Amino acid sequence: MGRIQNHPILGETPEGKTVHFTFDGKDMTGVEDEPIAAALHAAGVMVHRYTSGRHEPRGIFCAIGRCTDCVMIVNGIPNVRTCITPLEDGMKIQTQYGVSAREDFS
Amino acid sequence: MKMTRYDLIVIGAGPAGLSAAIVAAKAGIKPVVYDENARPGGQLFKQIHKFFGSKEHMAKVRGFRIGEQLLAEAEAAGVKVVLNATVIGLFPEKEVLVRIGDEVSHVKGDAILIATGASENMVSFRGWTLPGVMGAGAAQTLMNLHHVKPGENVLMLGTGNVGLVVSYQLLQAGCQVKAVVDAAPRIGGYGVHASKLARTGVPFYLSHTIKEAEGTDHVTGVTIAEVDEHFQFIKGTEKHIEVDTICVAVGLSPMTQLLKMSGCEMKDTRGGYLPVCDAYGQTSIPGIFAAGDVSGIEEASSAMIEGRMAGYAIAEYLGFISSRERASEEEVQKASLDALRQGMFAPENRGKKIETTEEGIRISENLLTHGFVADDEISRFPGVTRKTGIHPVMECTQNIPCNPCQDACSKGCIAIGENITALPSVISGKECIGCGMCVASCSGQAIFLEEEDVADGMGEVTIPYEFLPLPAEGDTGYGLGRDGRIVCSASVSRVRTLKAYDHTALVTLRVPMEHLHETRFYRAQ
Repeated sequence: MGRIQNHPILGETPEGKTVHFTFDGKDMTGVEDEPIAAALHAAGVMVHRYTSGRHEPRGIFCAIGRCTDCVMIVNGIPNVRTCITPLEDGMKIQTQYGVSAREDFS
Repeated sequence: MKMTRYDLIVIGAGPAGLSAAIVAAKAGIKPVVYDENARPGGQLFKQIHKFFGSKEHMAKVRGFRIGEQLLAEAEAAGVKVVLNATVIGLFPEKEVLVRIGDEVSHVKGDAILIATGASENMVSFRGWTLPGVMGAGAAQTLMNLHHVKPGENVLMLGTGNVGLVVSYQLLQAGCQVKAVVDAAPRIGGYGVHASKLARTGVPFYLSHTIKEAEGTDHVTGVTIAEVDEHFQFIKGTEKHIEVDTICVAVGLSPMTQLLKMSGCEMKDTRGGYLPVCDAYGQTSIPGIFAAGDVSGIEEASSAMIEGRMAGYAIAEYLGFISSRERASEEEVQKASLDALRQGMFAPENRGKKIETTEEGIRISENLLTHGFVADDEISRFPGVTRKTGIHPVMECTQNIPCNPCQDACSKGCIAIGENITALPSVISGKECIGCGMCVASCSGQAIFLEEEDVADGMGEVTIPYEFLPLPAEGDTGYGLGRDGRIVCSASVSRVRTLKAYDHTALVTLRVPMEHLHETRFYRAQ
């Protein structure tokens, strides 16, 4: 939630290339090649998906690609681990409901 | 079918795997290192604190710098690291199944080293799956690798070294740590790590755990409650804390799946389900080795040594060095590893309550339950002396394997001795010049400089400071005690940021004499 601009040990955050993407249709910006999950977290997005059975929200949990809690629909492909998938310009990212996007969620 | 063959396949490019591959490559072996991540180095690049140990263990060097050195060494030695390569199978014939992209291939190794590390343990409580509840490792990844704040107001569950270190890193990233909570009655990690938090005002709740994470779509608060000796909640002790993030640091488990799959002998231990290995990582299957956290949870420093030891053992197994060469190299490594396994936090002391130090001094009870040594306990430790003139005050009260302070003082004021777990003491007759190298070298930030009577009724204390914004000379604010409470007003008389201090700033505070020995932190007005 929010980016660290300057850090007492790591110094100033290196400036990356700003890229544009959409999250559930909304325009957002992030840094190229950072994990999708980091860009979303910096923008305040907490919920990545809702579980299929009980429709419970899930977000970042392990951040190293093990737990699969953070999977989303990226460019139409479901179950993409957003914590280890680099952000690219023009990506279409959607909240995942079960294993689908909202329109075909039943 | 044609199968690629390697002398040595290393699985995991963390501290253990890379160290082993470097030793092996230098002996003439051509190793390949597979790692499922996009970057090598394992968890080292998330470690921004100064490491413990002695010079040979790279003490007082920050973890990510050690990672950079290791990668440079691996490159120089010609180690081939294949990233985004997930090993999904290991068979007793030393055949490995690796997935790279969408392709799965079979490769054969004459020797295999498993250095897959560990994964975080979890505990479940009501609401534990809510977004905002995350592993301490996830928080570390977000803030130290990706420069994103995990949250604004955080609760940490777990007082082992991971919980304590990550809590401090959260403060450094600009987050608020509202509480550090543990169901155990005593803090599990190093007292010095706890004290760094306590003096900034972070409260500890021992014998407490999480009852519920609150919120519908994400965490909006947490309820903790006290537990009895059977870890059952005590009614009426609930406390509500406003947080948006809950970090869980309740231990690590070795990632032994591949070892189990290979069919090597395993055993159930206090430290987890582990492969049966000799001292050099040789499992029950000749040619299959294990090193680092996968063979028992320790520190990155020990993982690097274990990796090197396995590297020499593998070099001998494959016939690249003689048994005599191996023995002499192993002897050096073994001594270095043994030094790290000494003291109160040694593997054999896990879970034990230690009452006194090696020197026979009673341990601070307050340190174990509140995270700081009480004012009336501190003077019984040998590093704490009162004298005129500037001098170090070393609030190092537990036997941990660490001695950079002794090397840091060019005037020979500080003595630890041969046994690196001994508590440091000030040598009388040696003259302190106030250079501050000891303050900056102490990985536990437990050394302060004190000077009495610098002006009428005033004294000066120099503290290590690793936060932003840095106070400026002439600023006025408050001196905080070891418990984080305001003890007096303080003015900043000097701020030093030498390169040799490696990002630990030294802030000198002028405070009333009667509060000199209590003031351990600074808060701006």
